[in-house]
Amino acid sequence: MKLKLNTPLGRKIFGRTIRAFSISFWVMVIAFALMRVTPGDPASARLGAGAEEEAIEALREQLGLNVNPFQQFINYIRDLSQGDLGTSLVSGLPVGEIISKTFPLTLTYIAFSFFFAFLISIPIGVLIGWSNKASWVYSFRTFTSVVIATPNFFIAMVAILFFSVQRDWAPVFGYEPGFPGNMKYLWLPIAINTLILVSIISRVLLASVIDTRSEEFVETGIIRGVSRIRFFWFYILKPSLAPTIVLMSYMAGTMLGATVILETIFSLPGIGRELVGAVLASDYPVVQGILIFFGVITVFLSFFGDLFAYLLDRRVKL
Amino acid sequence: MKDNVLATIQDLRIDVRVTRRIRLRIVDTASLTIQKGQLLGLIGESGSGKTMLCRALVGTLNRRGAYIESGSIDFEGIDLVKAKKKDWRNIRGHKIGYIPQSALAGPNPVMRIGAQLAEAINQSGKKPSDEVRRRALELLELVQIRRPEVVLKQYPYELSGGMKQRVMIACAIAQNPKLIVADEPTTGLDVTVQAEIMELLRSIRKEFDTSIILVSHDLQLINSVCDDIVVMHAGATIEKVPSSKVTAALHPYTHALYDSRIDLVEPRGKLRTIKGQPPSVGKWPTGCRFADRCDFVKDVCRTTDPTPFAQVNENQWSACIRHKEIYGGAK
Repeated sequence: MKLKLNTPLGRKIFGRTIRAFSISFWVMVIAFALMRVTPGDPASARLGAGAEEEAIEALREQLGLNVNPFQQFINYIRDLSQGDLGTSLVSGLPVGEIISKTFPLTLTYIAFSFFFAFLISIPIGVLIGWSNKASWVYSFRTFTSVVIATPNFFIAMVAILFFSVQRDWAPVFGYEPGFPGNMKYLWLPIAINTLILVSIISRVLLASVIDTRSEEFVETGIIRGVSRIRFFWFYILKPSLAPTIVLMSYMAGTMLGATVILETIFSLPGIGRELVGAVLASDYPVVQGILIFFGVITVFLSFFGDLFAYLLDRRVKL
Repeated sequence: MKDNVLATIQDLRIDVRVTRRIRLRIVDTASLTIQKGQLLGLIGESGSGKTMLCRALVGTLNRRGAYIESGSIDFEGIDLVKAKKKDWRNIRGHKIGYIPQSALAGPNPVMRIGAQLAEAINQSGKKPSDEVRRRALELLELVQIRRPEVVLKQYPYELSGGMKQRVMIACAIAQNPKLIVADEPTTGLDVTVQAEIMELLRSIRKEFDTSIILVSHDLQLINSVCDDIVVMHAGATIEKVPSSKVTAALHPYTHALYDSRIDLVEPRGKLRTIKGQPPSVGKWPTGCRFADRCDFVKDVCRTTDPTPFAQVNENQWSACIRHKEIYGGAK
């Protein structure tokens, strides 16, 4: 599709793009500010308690901390615009490199979880929603409520106890890169993530399908006698899918936050565990870089989610 | 006269499943006949069962948990009550068209108008050919939509309520059905658009000799376009009267409906209403269900059961057992 800026759709997309960039900017500001307001001086923390005043001052200068925070921010943005996220205080590696090293693992299991969750949610949501059988809907809602209400680390721990400790179906921790070897370590986190995602996504889809079911246009579709496949897509799924798409794009951002917990429990060397390590070590360029990375991904995913939902169903407000 | 009949509904009873055990009767003893090329008005208050009657005619009761308990619907020799899925496929769209209740929610919001029309023209829904496209344009012109080429590519949200309903009418007449069921087709439209839609239905009837069942709760609106009016109250048909003779109706309810017209009221005068509410579904009394609201009620009205719907003269039917007494046995 060729995008023209003078069409209503083009204008909307243009507006949303501007908005996505401005939100990304504020994400940067907040990530930056958060690291400045947390107590402790990175320089003195690095050098330990007995360090000399001059050494600390020298390190502060080296880290660019000797100027006021506003100037620091300007410098940070300047570096960022050149693709430089700074360097880790601990390992001395560029933050960009750390992210590109740890993120693929996280992306792998998040992508798999979403893929499976989507595949499972659609038949569940459509079948139960379309039947609109009170007993089915009720049991389904009860089950998913329990899953949603249970903290994900608890589900993870129970799963480890059951699958790794009691039975030897999954390693308790560890990781080896490369497909398919990594699946041995990843299948359990993927399964847990999928379970949680299915509970949330299919609930929303179910509610939309129940709404769609009672719409007048469904009646006309039946009376028109369209084929089964056309009916399923144009009269059930397509009009019900928009909220689910929007939710999924939003969830993808939230999931990044949840990786912190999951990767710690399964000790997977992904970006979430990297983030935890960096926070504990006051490695603020890494924390800042990862937070901004997460933020920008979340903002743009939700932008694409909204856009896709709009293309699917024009009732969506862009 | 007899062989001119297109469809006959005889003593139709429709129940709805509330729970596994509890059933509610929502239509009880509804009867009507519709002639070829006739524009029949079906009128009644909310909850009188008009919509359910329409759904029975297009075979979509089931998805609302309702089913036909007894009675028959004869449509060109086919009993629709016993029709199977396969039979419906040949009836819906081809022989019976349907115009939905709400203009705003009638068209599918996720399909372009062209695609919906293509579906209505050619149910297989294959890729629209030139022929289908030509027919779609022709239909849009028929329902007086300006710039049909543009509208074909539009989504329903881009159209006004009146245009949406015109599109729905175009879909309903796509296959030249013998009968069109229009379930309150002007709900939610403003008065001038209502009149246009009514006029459109009338011209379609004239041009294609289609029979139309026009459902409404607005007697004033449909009285001017319909040939005959069938009045429903609390799930039963209670009167059938030619629209020209509504003032000589033979059931007190029809009179009450007619008298509660706003335009009959003098400026700042008192609006005449029908006292009370229609008995709610499941709480129908024995005898005449209008008895509690009727000005002419006598004890006999409450004991005679069930309310008979009887032919009074050549083209008038009434369910009032005392119509002779009340209206002097109209000629």
